[in-house]
Formats: sequence, C-alpha cells, structure tokens
Amino acid sequence: MRNLLQFLAKHNRLIVFILLEGVAFYLIFTSNNYHNTQLVKGIRSSTLAWESIINDLTNYFRIKKLNDQLHTENTELRNTLAKITAKSKDTLSTIIFSTTEEPQYEFIAAEVVNNSVNRQKNFFTVNAGTRKGVNVNMGVISPDGVAGIIISTGKNYSVAISLINLDFRLSAKIKSNDYFGSLSWDGSNYRYAILNDIPQHVFLNKGDTIITTGYSAIFPAGIMVGTISDFEKSGSEFYRIKVKLATDFKKLSNIYLIKNNRSQEQLSIEKAFQ
Amino acid sequence: MINKILRYTVIYLVLLLLQVLIFNNIQFSGYINPYVYILFLLLLPYETPGWILLLVSFLGGLIIDLFTGTPGMHAAATLAAAFVRPYILISISPREGYKAETELTAAVYGFRWFVIYTLGMVFIHHLVLFYLEVFRLNDFFRTLARVILSSSFTAIIILMLEYLRKGR
Repeated sequence: MRNLLQFLAKHNRLIVFILLEGVAFYLIFTSNNYHNTQLVKGIRSSTLAWESIINDLTNYFRIKKLNDQLHTENTELRNTLAKITAKSKDTLSTIIFSTTEEPQYEFIAAEVVNNSVNRQKNFFTVNAGTRKGVNVNMGVISPDGVAGIIISTGKNYSVAISLINLDFRLSAKIKSNDYFGSLSWDGSNYRYAILNDIPQHVFLNKGDTIITTGYSAIFPAGIMVGTISDFEKSGSEFYRIKVKLATDFKKLSNIYLIKNNRSQEQLSIEKAFQ
Repeated sequence: MINKILRYTVIYLVLLLLQVLIFNNIQFSGYINPYVYILFLLLLPYETPGWILLLVSFLGGLIIDLFTGTPGMHAAATLAAAFVRPYILISISPREGYKAETELTAAVYGFRWFVIYTLGMVFIHHLVLFYLEVFRLNDFFRTLARVILSSSFTAIIILMLEYLRKGR
C-alpha cells in the first residue's frame, strides 16, 4: 500500500492533490450547516473542552464589566416587575389571566463558549443544549440586543448563526414609525449591519432605534437591534440604512435563548395558507 | 530524521497556538484577517517528497479547521498552496539552485527571495481560503481586496516571526 502510494505520488503528484482536495470539498459541502458531519461533531467535543478553558480565562479578566452589565439589567427588570405588579393590582382579571395562561416566551440563560467576528460566516457556541430544552430556531439575545439564531443542538452545547453572518436575515423595524425591512450583514465591520427595504418617503433620523418586528416567530417584537448611524438612497425606491448594532459581538458572553411556546401554532397556520 | 520531524511538529504546534489564541482574534475593519500558520508549509525542506508535502499541509489545514469550526476550508486552501509550492520555488530559484538539508529561509537565500516566496505562497492560500469562505461571486472585488490586504499583513507578520526566530 505504501509502495503504491509512493509510486502514485512520485509519478503523479496531481492524483494526491485531487484526491485530498476532493476530501476537503466533500467536508465543505456536507457541512453546509456547519456542524452536521459526525466526524467533526466527535472531534469538536474534545476541542470544546479546551475552548471552555480559554473562555473561563478571558471571562475572568472581564468580570467587572460583566458584573456591571448584570447589575444594570437587574435594575431594569426590577423596574418592569414593579410596573407590572402595580398594574395587575388594578384588575382582578389580569391576575387570573396571567396565571392561567402559559407565557408565550420563556428565557433560558446561557454563556457563549466559542465565538468569532473575523469571518464572513460567523457562528458561536453556547453552553446549553437539548437537556435545557434548547431547540433549533430559537432566538439568541444578549443583554444589549439581538445576537443570533440556534441552528444546531447537542446535549450540552448548541451552535447559533451569528447576526454578523452573510447568510443571516432579520425582520426589523424602525421604532418611531413602525416601517419594517430586512436586516443583514454586509461582511465588513462587525459593529454595523445594513437595513434594506425601507421606502424613501419615510423620514429618517440618525440615532433612530431599530427593533425586531416579531413576525418570524423567533424573536418577540420590540427587542433592541441597534441605532441608525447613517443612511443613503439606493436605487429609486428604498434606503440603504447603516445600523450600529447594539450587541458588541466581540464581548458576547452572557446570553438568553428565547423559547416561543406558540411558534408551532403560528407556523402550522401560516403553512396551511401557503 | 526523527529529530527533524519533531522540530517541524513543534514549529507547527507553536504556530497553531499563535493562530488560535492571537491571530484568529485580529480583525481590522473586516478586511484584514491574518492566517499566519501557513508559515509551517513555507519552512518544510526543499527535498520533501511531493506527496508528503501535500499530506502534511492537508492535515495541518484540517487541524486549524477543527479549531475554527470550518471543516475543509483551511485544508483546501493549504493544500492548494502546497501544490503550487514547487512551481513557485522553481520560478524564483537562486542562481546556484537550492541546497539540500537547508531550511527555506531568508538567512540562507536572502531577504528579497524570502519576501517574494512568502508573498506568493500566502497570496495563493488566502485567495482560495477567502473565496471558499464567501462562496459567492457577487462581492468579487471586495473579496479580492480582502485577499490582497490580508496577504500583505500575513506576510509582514511572517517576516517578523522569522526575524524573531533567527534573532535568537
């Protein structure tokens, strides 16, 4: 066998080249969804342990900042809680309503263990999997705003497609006037994304807030996406709006996965009409 | 022989660590992503048999792939660079030819030679890698700009690493 290989190689380097390149392309094409190959899955689990260690280390250096972030988020939550309890005292029906009905959205807290911002197709890995009830197509948000969508799950880890990925599309709207468009990343700067399909008669301001529409059954409506940093006319009908993303993907650490308890219902009804 | 294999393994491991821990986190304005690990392929001896060169580069790329979660991409790019390597070496061969048992470094063949060699290899590698990564042609010139800028940056880092390695 070794002699055969040696013979082939000596006389035809091209054969080895084409064979190996074939293997490489096979890997690229079969792993379109990034994690589907069993081979990679197996070996990933060993590199993941290593990545967890690196992540723990880097988190240690950012502990103060993370603490501050959690603190501010806590105060915000307290405030909303206070508002809600004050409201629900008003009418008995709201209390009954809120206790009998299952909430539409539930949040699962998790941490990012592997992340990238320097590629054209970025993904990140979170340390929550099917054991914690994570499913494909669950939205991922950071305390600051939208971060990504889960595309593959394992027992203890899941992989999410990052907002800063050329294949990512998000339905987003301008908070002040409710016009909605499609948000995507253009592959250049990881702090900015592009919002398309906003008609030119709409009045825009720099600094306007962009939020999710909630049309997709993945993200609830009204989650922060970013703010308008710049806009220009593209073609004759629409704007090309540059959005400064609220989430800093280089610092992505504590995140929440959003479970939509009614997504099945919405999708099956929508499917019935198509 | 064993000594040599050990030596190149250590070089590869150091480059792997540098790549995963430092250079994978470098990004300037979405245009510059250095992939410095390719240096291990530049340094392999001139007399390395073709099939070993290809196999080693394939495996080397594949290990990087495992750490970056991009199965096949770095393997394909490194393999392409390894395939072109003999042609580049022949086209820039010094007047007295290549000496056996020497490293392909600036110290042996001169600074100018090494710069051209590095630029050529890195450019091929980045060209394949970046177009495979984007996998579409509608951003053709933007990707080309990324290839050129990143290659230059990677080449500069490689030259610096070589200087540090020899400066010892």
